Amino acid sequence: MDLVDTYARWIKKNVDDPEMVRKLIILGLKAEHAYFSLFRDKQVPRSFNYLNKIGVEFILNPLIYRDQSAWVNLFAPTEILHAMDIYPLCIEAFSSFLVGFHCEDVYVDYAQRSGISDTLCSYHKGFIGAALTGLLPKPKFMITSSMLCDANISTFRYLSWYHHIPMYSIDVPLEYSQQSISYLEKQLREMVKMLEEATGKKMDEDKLKDVIKRENKIHAHMNRYIDALRYKCHPTTLTLEMYMLFINHTFMGTQPTLNFYEMLTNELDSFPHSRAKRVFWVHIVPFYPNALKRYFNYSHRYEILGLDLNFDYLEEMDYENPYRTLARKMLLNNNNGPYQRKVDSIMSIVDRLQPDGIIHFCQWGCKQSVGGMMLLKKALDERGIPFLALDGDGADRRNHHEGQINTRLEAFLEMLDK
Amino acid sequence: MIIGYICKYTPVKLLESMSIECVRIEPSYIDNGIAEAHMHPNVCTYVKGVLTEVFKGGYDGIILVNCCDSVRRLYDVLKNAEKGKMIYMLDLPRKSGDQSVAMYASEIKKLVQTFTDFYGKKFNAQDFIRYISTEQENAGQFNMPKGNDGIRLAIMGARCNSSLIDLLKKAGADEVLNYTCTGNLLNFKPLPDFSAGEQDIIEWYAGSLIRSIPCMRMADIDRRRDMLKDIMANVNGIVYHTIKFCEFYSYEYSYIKDNCRFPILKIETDFTQGSEGQLITRIGAFVESLKGSNNKVERPSHGTRKTIVAGIDSGSLSTDVVILDEDCNILSYSIVPTGASIVDSANKAFSQSLKRAGITPQDVSFIVSTGYGRINIPFANKQVTEITCHGKGAYFLNSNIRTIIDIGGQDSKVIRLDEDGNVVDFVMNDRCSAGTGRFLEVMAKALEIPLEKMGEEAEKATEDINITSICTVFAESEVISLIAQNKKRADIIKGLHNSVASKTIGLLDRLGRKGAYMMTGGVAKNRGVVEAIEQRIGDKVHIPAEPQMVGALGAAILALQEIKAKHVK
Repeated sequence: MDLVDTYARWIKKNVDDPEMVRKLIILGLKAEHAYFSLFRDKQVPRSFNYLNKIGVEFILNPLIYRDQSAWVNLFAPTEILHAMDIYPLCIEAFSSFLVGFHCEDVYVDYAQRSGISDTLCSYHKGFIGAALTGLLPKPKFMITSSMLCDANISTFRYLSWYHHIPMYSIDVPLEYSQQSISYLEKQLREMVKMLEEATGKKMDEDKLKDVIKRENKIHAHMNRYIDALRYKCHPTTLTLEMYMLFINHTFMGTQPTLNFYEMLTNELDSFPHSRAKRVFWVHIVPFYPNALKRYFNYSHRYEILGLDLNFDYLEEMDYENPYRTLARKMLLNNNNGPYQRKVDSIMSIVDRLQPDGIIHFCQWGCKQSVGGMMLLKKALDERGIPFLALDGDGADRRNHHEGQINTRLEAFLEMLDK
Repeated sequence: MIIGYICKYTPVKLLESMSIECVRIEPSYIDNGIAEAHMHPNVCTYVKGVLTEVFKGGYDGIILVNCCDSVRRLYDVLKNAEKGKMIYMLDLPRKSGDQSVAMYASEIKKLVQTFTDFYGKKFNAQDFIRYISTEQENAGQFNMPKGNDGIRLAIMGARCNSSLIDLLKKAGADEVLNYTCTGNLLNFKPLPDFSAGEQDIIEWYAGSLIRSIPCMRMADIDRRRDMLKDIMANVNGIVYHTIKFCEFYSYEYSYIKDNCRFPILKIETDFTQGSEGQLITRIGAFVESLKGSNNKVERPSHGTRKTIVAGIDSGSLSTDVVILDEDCNILSYSIVPTGASIVDSANKAFSQSLKRAGITPQDVSFIVSTGYGRINIPFANKQVTEITCHGKGAYFLNSNIRTIIDIGGQDSKVIRLDEDGNVVDFVMNDRCSAGTGRFLEVMAKALEIPLEKMGEEAEKATEDINITSICTVFAESEVISLIAQNKKRADIIKGLHNSVASKTIGLLDRLGRKGAYMMTGGVAKNRGVVEAIEQRIGDKVHIPAEPQMVGALGAAILALQEIKAKHVK
């Protein structure tokens, strides 16, 4: 901890020297990567050690190969970037790393001082601050989809104007229809043209098909993993759950992600039967609160089975029509459209996993998730499934109240233990 | 039948041509109990207000547009709670190309079909063309300045209601042009002729709606830049409105602030009228700064008897009075706590200072009042906001001052002056008491130390403690847990001073740093806070002998200017 704090002090001291901060961050990430390549965390399965390593690698690449990078949000169709060998930098992931380096506050403050609203999601504020200070190297392109969150188009457009970098906003309608599929498909094709112009790289459609073929394999592994989770126990950490979020979205369809899932499904049989109280998590999970770490990290007593966001699309995709299938994937994401679709998808995963309780994390600034929370609670109450809402912020420690989270969580776990 | 709607992209004219009465929902209050039971405290306050309004009843149906995250969830919640009612949401594309227009036309057709199925209302293309031509003829040109003299403001940003426009006028604007989505920003293309069929006319209408001046929710917003140019050519200043828990507009505000050299004031409301007092002060000060002012205080050269004036600052915690003679000599001053009655406290402070100066009320030629209670001082001749008054007072005390940091009982402000002492910019904290005198007062109580001893006590600190909560309520519980951890009181106090300082620096940095600095208001008496601020800005902060008196002093100087102006006339 002390080492991280010292590191944070260095970073904060050098905010005005973004090159220096970038070097410090890259150095820190490389050290972490080397550590996970050499040593194993024996408390978690082998596959999760690999996940840790690739998670760091994925964030390092766009920082190092800046002229081949693109900024994206979590729900951008990055399959297209992987097919074109462009490194995506996911804003939610990068902001999480700022939290890991204990320096998110200076970047959040920087964005707020520039006039950005303090009620905006802190994942966006941290990233905006990092972009405005020059900590992040300028990418070649930016891609955002309008799915789920209002902040996406606004944040990317703001940064695109600020840095004079081309961007593409993908407008995702709420309802699935032939018209909305065509609308989306046309946008994806238009975006690829712009990407080709901006990066000088050509899209090879066969490579895109390969990415989607791998994605199908990953979806199959994920389904096996969910079925195994019904009975098996695999101690993990909150951080690893967040890594899964990033590989399941931004790095979906890549070889390392497939490797991880192959390793994981190979290990499934060796996992012991679970005797823990099992919690399914809705929305993102903050990885720093002591109260959460104490109960869930490496625990055989209380387990987090996964985040709903990690299982938001598990269908077989038609790789022969890559653009159309990507359009379909966005439209039919469990979180797109009316909230009832999300409730239904959570109910179906609850049927598969049979958790003892559900925790909904109310992320600061995330209106699309907190606004419907009471509907989810109602649906779960009707089925007699215990529900807990925790308010906090995964991307700014200052909006987190340890005592409050601790009391609520302990009371909930006591309830489950009864 | 009455249908409630919220968004300018709603096909209102088409529905009206089907004899459906459409009412835009403009809630005036929020029932937090309802809002929190069905949603969450952190959704947009306008949406919470709409939820309250719909639950109150009076609408046969509600049409929403997929405007934002909060509205999408409002739809889900209403759909679930109001099962017998038609709750409808239009999926509005964010782009404005032909395909988007076709998509929106389909959405509108679906809506029309729903009305036919639900209520038996039929759409007729010719009725609609007839209706909209008459409407267009009657509409006239909107948002065209009337050309009269005076201060003309544009309101931009998140939706504003009529009471906010009235408030701008009350604060001194002579004319207000509404460029938010509740103003008329529609842009109709020439109407198709009467022979047009249903599909053509709906597409025409969808195109007109989707290609009107876009709100920030849309993806293609270049036309807002053109609008901005028009606005800057036609008005004296922009009041930029944002709504609590709606972030769309803060991006544009940030862009304008950094890229256009044009007077702009950002205000945030929760769409109710709770914060009217603070808003009037801020907008009033903005209007005053647009009017410009003459700072030179010259002596009126008439008669033998010296003219005497008074300034009275009716603040939330104290009422201060300064009596000045025409040579700007301070004859006396007084500070009394503001009690339950603003008028009683003002009378008390005024008579105290008259007594000290050895004069009677009749000797005072002009009185300017300032502060929250300024409007309610019956014996004042003129009211001026405390922002202008602090500017006057500080510049009078030290003409090198360019930045005033005023931390009062309930709010904090940073005011920027130009070389002539004019207020050119300012920022004020939000409605909460974070980083204000009240914040320190609450903490002093928790730490069982008199407020005035805090500065002294902090000098004994040996350990750095970081108080992370900014909110007074949360910080208090943080302080209590620090006490429980047996942390030294001096260290906790130093941590609190640092917390106030960093909040203040945040405010200061919204204006940018520029010396020389002066700090005014009660908190300036706390050496600990002053030093923490000095350390962060790396510059000296001037503290006047009586930092609480600066507002009243400025008011008195303005009173002198008034007298002089009268004599010139």
